Amino acid sequence: MAAATAPGPKAPPGESGGPAASALSMERIQSLTDLADLEAAYSRLCEEEKVVQEELDALLEQQSTIENKMVALHRMGPSLQLIEGDAQQLAGMVTFTCNLAENVSSKVRQLDLAKNRLYQAIQRADDILDLKFCMDGVQTALRNEDYEQAAAHIHRYLSLDKSVIELSRQGKEGGIIDANLKLLQEAEQRLKTIVTEKFDTAMKQGDLPQVERFFKIFPLLGLHEEGLSKFSEYLCKQVANKAEENLQLVMGTDMSDRRAAVIFADTLTLLFEGIARIVETHQPIVETYYGPGRLYTLIKHLQVECDRQVEKVVDKFIKERDYHRQFQQVQNSMMRSSSAEKIEPRELDPILTEVTLMNARSELYLRFIKRRIIADFEVGDAMASEEVKQEHQKYLDKLLNNCLLSCTMQELIGYYITMEEYFMRETVNKAVAMDSYEKGQLTSSMVDDVFYIVKKCIGRALSSSSIDCLCAMINHSTTELESDFREVLYNKLKQGFPATTFQDFQRGVTSAVNIMHSSLQQGKFDTKGIESTDEAKQSFLVTLNNVEVCSENIMTLKKTLESDCSKLLSQGFGGEQAQAKIESCLSDMAAVSNKFRDLLQEGLNELNSTAIKPQVKPWINLFLSVSHNIEEEEFSDYEANDPWVQQFIVNLEQQMTEFKAGLSPVIYDTLTGLMTSLIAIELEKVLLKSTFSRLGGLQFDKELRSLIAYLTTVTTWTIRDKFARLSQMATILNLERVTEILDYWGPNSGPLTWRLTPAEVRQVLALRIDFRSEDIKRLRL
Amino acid sequence: MSMEDYDFLFKIVLIGNAGVGKTCLVRRFTQGLFPPGQGATIGVDFMIKTVEINGEKVKLQIWDTAGQERFRSITQSYYRSANALILTYDITCEESFRCLPEWLREIEQYASNKVITVLVGNKIDLADKREVSQQRAAEFSEAQDMYYLETSAKESDNVEKLFLDLACRLISEARQNTLVNNVSSPLPGEGKSISYLTCCNFN
Repeated sequence: MAAATAPGPKAPPGESGGPAASALSMERIQSLTDLADLEAAYSRLCEEEKVVQEELDALLEQQSTIENKMVALHRMGPSLQLIEGDAQQLAGMVTFTCNLAENVSSKVRQLDLAKNRLYQAIQRADDILDLKFCMDGVQTALRNEDYEQAAAHIHRYLSLDKSVIELSRQGKEGGIIDANLKLLQEAEQRLKTIVTEKFDTAMKQGDLPQVERFFKIFPLLGLHEEGLSKFSEYLCKQVANKAEENLQLVMGTDMSDRRAAVIFADTLTLLFEGIARIVETHQPIVETYYGPGRLYTLIKHLQVECDRQVEKVVDKFIKERDYHRQFQQVQNSMMRSSSAEKIEPRELDPILTEVTLMNARSELYLRFIKRRIIADFEVGDAMASEEVKQEHQKYLDKLLNNCLLSCTMQELIGYYITMEEYFMRETVNKAVAMDSYEKGQLTSSMVDDVFYIVKKCIGRALSSSSIDCLCAMINHSTTELESDFREVLYNKLKQGFPATTFQDFQRGVTSAVNIMHSSLQQGKFDTKGIESTDEAKQSFLVTLNNVEVCSENIMTLKKTLESDCSKLLSQGFGGEQAQAKIESCLSDMAAVSNKFRDLLQEGLNELNSTAIKPQVKPWINLFLSVSHNIEEEEFSDYEANDPWVQQFIVNLEQQMTEFKAGLSPVIYDTLTGLMTSLIAIELEKVLLKSTFSRLGGLQFDKELRSLIAYLTTVTTWTIRDKFARLSQMATILNLERVTEILDYWGPNSGPLTWRLTPAEVRQVLALRIDFRSEDIKRLRL
Repeated sequence: MSMEDYDFLFKIVLIGNAGVGKTCLVRRFTQGLFPPGQGATIGVDFMIKTVEINGEKVKLQIWDTAGQERFRSITQSYYRSANALILTYDITCEESFRCLPEWLREIEQYASNKVITVLVGNKIDLADKREVSQQRAAEFSEAQDMYYLETSAKESDNVEKLFLDLACRLISEARQNTLVNNVSSPLPGEGKSISYLTCCNFN
């Protein structure tokens, strides 16, 4: 194809084929007819021939090199045959060595086996010798009453491989061994009987060294459980004797004794301390001679005695302190509200303290044995499987949860909570009933009293070290504060701030002189009425303060309890959920603080609408009776004799003095905030009902400035914002011309943010009698 | 409250005689476990599970109480702040059913009047030992105006349903409360469920 389209002579040779074959086929050459074409084909063929010639030359040049290489290869032939022979020889040697090695190693294995069997044989011989030695030793030791030695021999015998002994019996000397074994077994039984007898005797005589001596022998005879149980029996007897003594002492205690009120808690403490000391003292022997993991057994036995003694002490406590009857009485008092047979809460005080102390001691003791047992199990269970560990944990939980001590204490605490709740509620009721207020104080006595009581009750529950008991009392306190006590304050606020009397109303209208005059008159004619009104007012204000302090106190109480509880938890009391439980109960308590805040807000709104609004509104309405459509002469007259604002400020000041003295700074501040909002709203209303001349506008501006200046001094809030609309109205009323508003409006407003809508701006402009309504209408705002 | 990652928080307290399976119900629901040989609960236990209902995260604070008499004064203190009570009995134990009126008296005395109470008959896997018929329990619950359900903590029957249905009812109840309370100002001594709600849900 390429040749057909571009058959020119300039086409390079070999372009359409390799150098060996010509690009032009014979047929093609034969078909050429044109001379020019022929010439072109010829010259192309010539060039191809030249290229082929060159290639041939190059190949020929390589011929000698190849021949040289061939010669070299021929020379290597014999050497290769030599190498092959050597390799075969080597392979033979390797195979031989390998066989040899295998032979040797199998012999070594046989030797090993032989050695092991030899060792076993020696071991067995040793064992048999030991057996004989033990037999002889036991006899001698028993004769010499060296029981430790005898036990050591028996221990040796017991630790021998039983199958070995069995095998030995089948041997030639079976008869002798059998006889030996029989003797040994007899000795074992004898020793067991002797040790048990000797132990019992020692125990009866209270001979501690002998008791300990034989206690150490039991494990050598494989009698771990027996040893521990016997030893525990001995220890329990000691515990019982001591406890009996202590209980006798209690019965003889004089009621005037310093510890008389907590004597049962003290008795329990002595019991627990005694047991703890026993555990401390004997733990090393048990560990050394019985191995780890055995302390649990010892304590389990001791706990039985502990339970028995606790039962006695608690029974005595219940009887002596009349615990159940007191509880019954409390329950009856709670059911019926009749005060006739109500139990005096103060009488419960000592018993409540004692019960919490008893529980605290129990918790401390239970925590002690828990720690000891866990530590002992841990040593033994280091290599044990997870199941064994869980099993041990279960044993421990069962021991701690099901022991009579735990159950008895739970029962006592159950009664305690009901009685403590009663104590709290009744004492709070008392504090409310005895509420008194001292002049100069912001709050009345009941707030401090109530929180003192609540703190005391929760504190006592906390001192029991029982998390559930603590949480229950936090819950009860929350209920007490939230419903009962809040109800008391709510009812006081519901009575309201006394409505403004006619005299009070007049007081606002008339001048300062008149106020003095009228109050003198009132003093003459209606002292009682005034006093009760004043009392009601004061009661309302004091209640507001009380509510605020309650809200604060609850948060303080929560914080204090949080830190107290974390101390308790860090000492390891309470389960895994303890922290979460306490947090939840405390957060419920904190929620009550907010309820008191809401109540405070309600009270303030009430005060604002019943006490402040009825006073302030008429004072502001007086503005309407002062004409602001004035000329030069009246303006200067106003300057000399202020017609409204100064009196208004005096009135406000007088009114607020009462509140400032009677309310806490925080509440007073909130109240003035409410009042300034009220003033701003009311003043705006009257402003829009008035008319102004140019000078009247100026007059209002002056008045507003005085008012703002005054209010700024009495509040800590920024009041400018509340008066922003009024200030802007004053600005409008002070304009020279209607169009001047455009200097302050829209793009010209600068930093000023208008709080008035365009409609309102027009409305205010229209208050100026000298501004024409057409001009105002024409304004583009 | 926006910091907390839930929309609702409800307190649920389980009550009922000892050994009716309160702890197992809670364990089954919160951990998916049925621990055999569960020991008696001491005092109260506390579990939390957050579930999602219609795209809203509901945190359920579940208080599992001891049924034994000596813990009564502890468990009673939790009634008042509870949004819901699950009163449980054992269908294979007549005694646990006969005690229900006594439990209802306790609820009457200590719980908020807004509390939702659910009656649960547990252990339906032990059908051949049944002592309390479904009809009797249904009639009783109807008379007391309670929601009633039978469950098996062991077979996980109705456990999920019990808690999730309860959560749904608590949500709708809470919604109603806020609506009412938005109109009129709250009265003192109102139930506290309102304070748990995040306002952003309704505004």
